[in-house]
Amino acid sequence: MEMGALIVAPGGDAGSAIRDSGLCAPSWPVLGKTILQRWIERVQGLGVGLVSVADRNPQEPNRVHTMVEWAKEGVEQVLLIALGSYAEIDLPDLIRFHSEGRRQHTKVFDQQGPLGISLLDRGCILKNREPADQDSDLASSRYDFLGYVVRLSSSVKYRQLVEDALEGRCGIQLTGSQTQPRVWIDETAQVDASATIQAPCYIGPGTKVKAGVALKGCSSVERNCEIDFGTTLDHTSIQPNTYVAPGLYFRESVVDGTRLEHLARSVTVDLGTAGLSARIGTQARHAHRSPRLAHGSGLSRRDAIKEEEHYP
Amino acid sequence: MTKTQPMTIKRLPEPRDKASRRSFLREIKGFVDSSHRPRLILDLSAIEQITPESIDLLLECVGHAERGDGEVSVAGASPQTSVILEITQAASVLNMFPSVLEAADGHQAHSLQFWKPGYTDDRAA
Repeated sequence: MEMGALIVAPGGDAGSAIRDSGLCAPSWPVLGKTILQRWIERVQGLGVGLVSVADRNPQEPNRVHTMVEWAKEGVEQVLLIALGSYAEIDLPDLIRFHSEGRRQHTKVFDQQGPLGISLLDRGCILKNREPADQDSDLASSRYDFLGYVVRLSSSVKYRQLVEDALEGRCGIQLTGSQTQPRVWIDETAQVDASATIQAPCYIGPGTKVKAGVALKGCSSVERNCEIDFGTTLDHTSIQPNTYVAPGLYFRESVVDGTRLEHLARSVTVDLGTAGLSARIGTQARHAHRSPRLAHGSGLSRRDAIKEEEHYP
Repeated sequence: MTKTQPMTIKRLPEPRDKASRRSFLREIKGFVDSSHRPRLILDLSAIEQITPESIDLLLECVGHAERGDGEVSVAGASPQTSVILEITQAASVLNMFPSVLEAADGHQAHSLQFWKPGYTDDRAA
């Protein structure tokens, strides 16, 4: 029986974060791969060759058209995944459950409600060709899932998933090799010997970690980042292509280019204007300017305060 | 000269106004030199997000105050400024208060632990 899988994602792009939508969390990589990439791999692992990613925007008709076209071409079942959660669903068991039922539509629920994952039969798709029909509450079977789920509704949830993965509380497989127990560092990352890496943590491909940097508290640094001298990351995730200035201390935060979200304070700050972080590949990276205290790596706090003003 | 325990409340000058900055520091230095254990309260309530130049200025004030065995408090920092002070670690050498009134009263409104993160021990180690 031929099956197709349609994944509905913000922007419909496997590699980009949707910066204006406020829904960055599903698009951010989690320890090397985005949730979208992980879903695609899982679906392909089922032997499903027909996989498509559509835009979440309801104005975009692609997802319905794609499903209808597949159904017309003889695809018997479509697995529809609205990307918004990471859920370790046993997909073969879902397919078996659906096949044993009498409904043409099976929806996956956890204890909080629907997870946005459905399995639809060809007949069901061809009967409901309009977007409104697809969203309506069709007579469907309910598949209750009791396993590991994180709804990626916020940066707090994103950090929860990162920490669970690093602590081995979910099934996410990390990329990179373990240089010491529970420390994953990609082979192409450059980590200075003086950096303090406290397990568990993750450093992605092409990332540079400079002298005196400290990573702790399940911190993660994704691909192509640069963490400058003496900066500490504590329960913090750095998103791809981000430069972080020297001598800073981040806790319970997610930094994406110049945007910092401080999870403990529920505050978002633009670090670009202060020159404390930058998107790598932009000129701002070379114009960073930390306060003098921040440059005092290795010095005591008072030593770092220099008197430069002259009084007449 | 008679030493007192005075307190003064000031707003930071515009970060790029060098003349105002020099004048501001001159006043601070004069205040500290004439005081015993001075208390300097800097009102940040008019600043949406602090600049690196202003953080440098704050730290210069801390340096002056410490030479006189005094202390610097900041009051009314916006959430954004509080985050910047935390990540630049300037918060670890400042007393932070929600308002000038509370700074003047000297109460550690909210919890001090909130403003001074628990990494101070790590740094000292």
